[in-house]
Amino acid sequence: MGKTSVWGTVTENFAKVIHGLNANQLTDQVIQRSKRMILDTLGVGLLGTTTEVCHKVAQYSKIYSSDLSSTIWGHLDFRLPPLYAAFVNGVAVHSMDFDDTWHPATHPSGAVLPTLIALSEAFPQKKKISGLDLLLAFNVGIEVQGRLLHFSKEARNIPKRFHPPAVVGTMGSAAACAKLLALDQLECKNALAIAASYAGAPLANAATQIKPLHVGNAAKHGLEAACLALQGLQGNKQILDVESGMGAFYTDYNPQVLPTLESYPWLLDQQDVAIKRFPAHLATHWVADAASSVRRKLVENSENLLPLDKIEKVILKVPEVKYVNRPSPASEHEARHSFQFVACSALLDGSMSVQSFTSENIHRPALRELLCKTHLEHPHDNTPSFDSLYCQVTVTLQDGNTISDRCTTFYGHWRKPLKKEDLEKKFQSNALGILPTEAVEGIIETVYNLEKVEDCSVLSTFLSGQSARALPQKRFFL
Amino acid sequence: LWIKGHHFAPDDTVTGSFASFISAARPEHLSQTVRQRSKRMILDSLGVGLVGSTTRVFDIALRYCRLYSSVAVSSVYGKPGVKLSPTLAAFTNGVATHSMDFDDTWHPATHPSGAVLPALLAASQMLPPSAKPTGLDFLLAFNVGLEVQGRLMHFSTEAHDIPKRFHPPSVVGTLGGAAAAAKLLSLSPAQCCHALGIAASLAGAPMANAATQAKPLHVGNATRLGLEAALLAARGMEASPLILDDIPGCSGFGAFYGVYQPKPLPAPGQHHQFLLEKQDIAFKRFPAHLGMHWVVDAALSVRNLFINQAGSFSPALIRSILLKIPVSKYINRPFPSSEHQARHSFQFNACAALLDGEVGLGSFSESSIQRQELRELLDKVVVEHPEDNMANFDKMYGEVALLLHTGDVLTGKCDTFYGHWRKPLSKESLLKKFRSNASHVLPEEKIEAIITLVENLENLSDSSQLACSL
Repeated sequence: MGKTSVWGTVTENFAKVIHGLNANQLTDQVIQRSKRMILDTLGVGLLGTTTEVCHKVAQYSKIYSSDLSSTIWGHLDFRLPPLYAAFVNGVAVHSMDFDDTWHPATHPSGAVLPTLIALSEAFPQKKKISGLDLLLAFNVGIEVQGRLLHFSKEARNIPKRFHPPAVVGTMGSAAACAKLLALDQLECKNALAIAASYAGAPLANAATQIKPLHVGNAAKHGLEAACLALQGLQGNKQILDVESGMGAFYTDYNPQVLPTLESYPWLLDQQDVAIKRFPAHLATHWVADAASSVRRKLVENSENLLPLDKIEKVILKVPEVKYVNRPSPASEHEARHSFQFVACSALLDGSMSVQSFTSENIHRPALRELLCKTHLEHPHDNTPSFDSLYCQVTVTLQDGNTISDRCTTFYGHWRKPLKKEDLEKKFQSNALGILPTEAVEGIIETVYNLEKVEDCSVLSTFLSGQSARALPQKRFFL
Repeated sequence: LWIKGHHFAPDDTVTGSFASFISAARPEHLSQTVRQRSKRMILDSLGVGLVGSTTRVFDIALRYCRLYSSVAVSSVYGKPGVKLSPTLAAFTNGVATHSMDFDDTWHPATHPSGAVLPALLAASQMLPPSAKPTGLDFLLAFNVGLEVQGRLMHFSTEAHDIPKRFHPPSVVGTLGGAAAAAKLLSLSPAQCCHALGIAASLAGAPMANAATQAKPLHVGNATRLGLEAALLAARGMEASPLILDDIPGCSGFGAFYGVYQPKPLPAPGQHHQFLLEKQDIAFKRFPAHLGMHWVVDAALSVRNLFINQAGSFSPALIRSILLKIPVSKYINRPFPSSEHQARHSFQFNACAALLDGEVGLGSFSESSIQRQELRELLDKVVVEHPEDNMANFDKMYGEVALLLHTGDVLTGKCDTFYGHWRKPLSKESLLKKFRSNASHVLPEEKIEAIITLVENLENLSDSSQLACSL
């Protein structure tokens, strides 16, 4: 049993807070941070629509098209019911492992944003969803995920059993939808209870093509749970309190009630997200920065090639994370989850990018050669937590010299957040090629001014790639 | 066609052995016993689903699914005019099947048919006329779905006991549904493997939603998401090829268990025996959790003793009622307040049996649950958990003792209720249950037609007839 208090059960308390939070409680920092997350997530998702996994789920989802229809990011040619739009766009967001990461570890935005955007398009014509409504629901979804992650000490470390987005992401999506749909307290409770029965996916599917579906399904099933709750379906009203509820996913589970609504302390206020600079598992970002730095020391001029022949071995001091330890990845999914691959790529090229993971680059002989010389070490003090891990890259040359660098905080981590220009650059780079320039700039402007946007369907219009000329002049502001 | 990263090597992994089994199994591998038992399961599951289509939870599920039904080719139990898209039809019918907790139960514990049958029915209607599976194909796919579930449960000793953490149909049922659908759709071994892997990422619902209106969704989702996994695998989606194997530090299917020891499946043929051959299923006589059936039979027996002695059943003569039951929190409810809770309450079922002389559909209506005489009787119940009463459907027993004001003690005990695998329902009893269930929503001719179709399943040339007949 969870800690009950004068507020009743934890589950009831969550429902009360989800229901009771309103836009006035969003602090400036929370607004600013969440808008950055929204922009990044959209860009990552747009780029993701070009992936094979996304093509497959889109083809699959087309079986279910019907009258209710929402935008598929980057596509003007077809639409899907909100459930499947959330699914497909959620898959797109996580398809390249390019989306945001939080502490305790999960990918919070991908489970929430696609759902909210899809849902906002499914409301009857008269009902407009404002940018502020969207922003509030988004933050409710993020907050619920963070709070749930704090219920278990296990959650602080990189996961081993269940993939967190599939666990807390589903709950966050349900909470966000409950907020947008303005469910009453009882319905909020049931949305959470129902969502729990959809939550959870084993970690073994990480580094495979199915991993992106963890986020897609979280988005989709959270929406379904909220919709079923709206229809009156009921689940266990103590789903967050009992061990046989959310506790089933953890070995140690200590649920707590949320703080009171007055001056609500959002977790996003205290703990920012990390935004990735290249599409791979977060732990590889430390390795990339350290490796790039080692390369700069090794090579005078960035145009010079790495002196491969002179390299005897490459040692990576990393935390012990089994699913990111891949000495010889064969697919893009595996490469994105390989300390060794990212280290060698960064050493060879100087930096990592979307292109680093193409088939040609994964299989190039120079890389394979360097991989053979690469070994991992797991120092005891290197804990598998995104808040405290470090990576050290040491290259030993044949003449005995060693060149080393250690990275404790990569650029993009919450301790060293991306500057506004760099966040925008990432978005532009991702979105150009999928959307016309006006739409790309339109999204940036809309997200930056989200609180003032009267009707957030303008965002969906841009996302579908529709020409800006189709929109009326004064489109954004109240 | 392109070749992707993983090189498919079926032989040395547990996962690979399952994939090979699914794709290599043939109708010839089904023994007589297995055919006969699985047809009984199919009939019972259909009946239970049909009566389940009258429930509130079914209503909600159907209304929700109708929002999305564009390629509506698959039938819905008890709704002749309605068609839904295949996975949503499977979902709705799966919900119907488990809506009253009236569906079959196996050992180790799960509700196997509801996770498999709706997916197969829906898929059979999806396939084009030139590729319709025969009745024998259907029966085979059904058994593949059962077999996979059974084998998975043998990977953990936890599974032998009544569950505490994850609801088994949502764990093994999803993979069973995927395996069955993969079989019906004739997926390649590699695709069968991926179907299992995809299904694993869709599996797992916590026990806390048992005894609530959301529980039926566990079976609905198992069959629906299992079908979805197979459909995604058919379109080339790939998952971990080691999903069933033990991977320390990075859990696969083992994530759902504390201790997980997977073993490869023997190839179908001489060295392989379907689990259903050795271990039959239990069919329920009334719509409540299986554990209730022992307690009800014990209560009915002590009730007879009491009536022989006192002439009639007079609650006033009873000082207290002692129930000797195994420890299982989610079915120990002294004062259930909803039908879902009542179906999961040893106390309620014992008292209903004592009062009415039988437990049936009507016992779980709102008025029945709330009646004064029943609440008074519930007040007299005391529960004990003898150490020798294990929370295990193969070993548990139920004992009901009436302590009278006179000081007399009357006892009834049940080791094996009628319907348990050790004392299976006769053919007549099973048909009676089916007819009674189906009559809530279908006319007599249709009911008899379904019975005939299932009876002669192996001889059907187009198994989608079964789905169309609902």
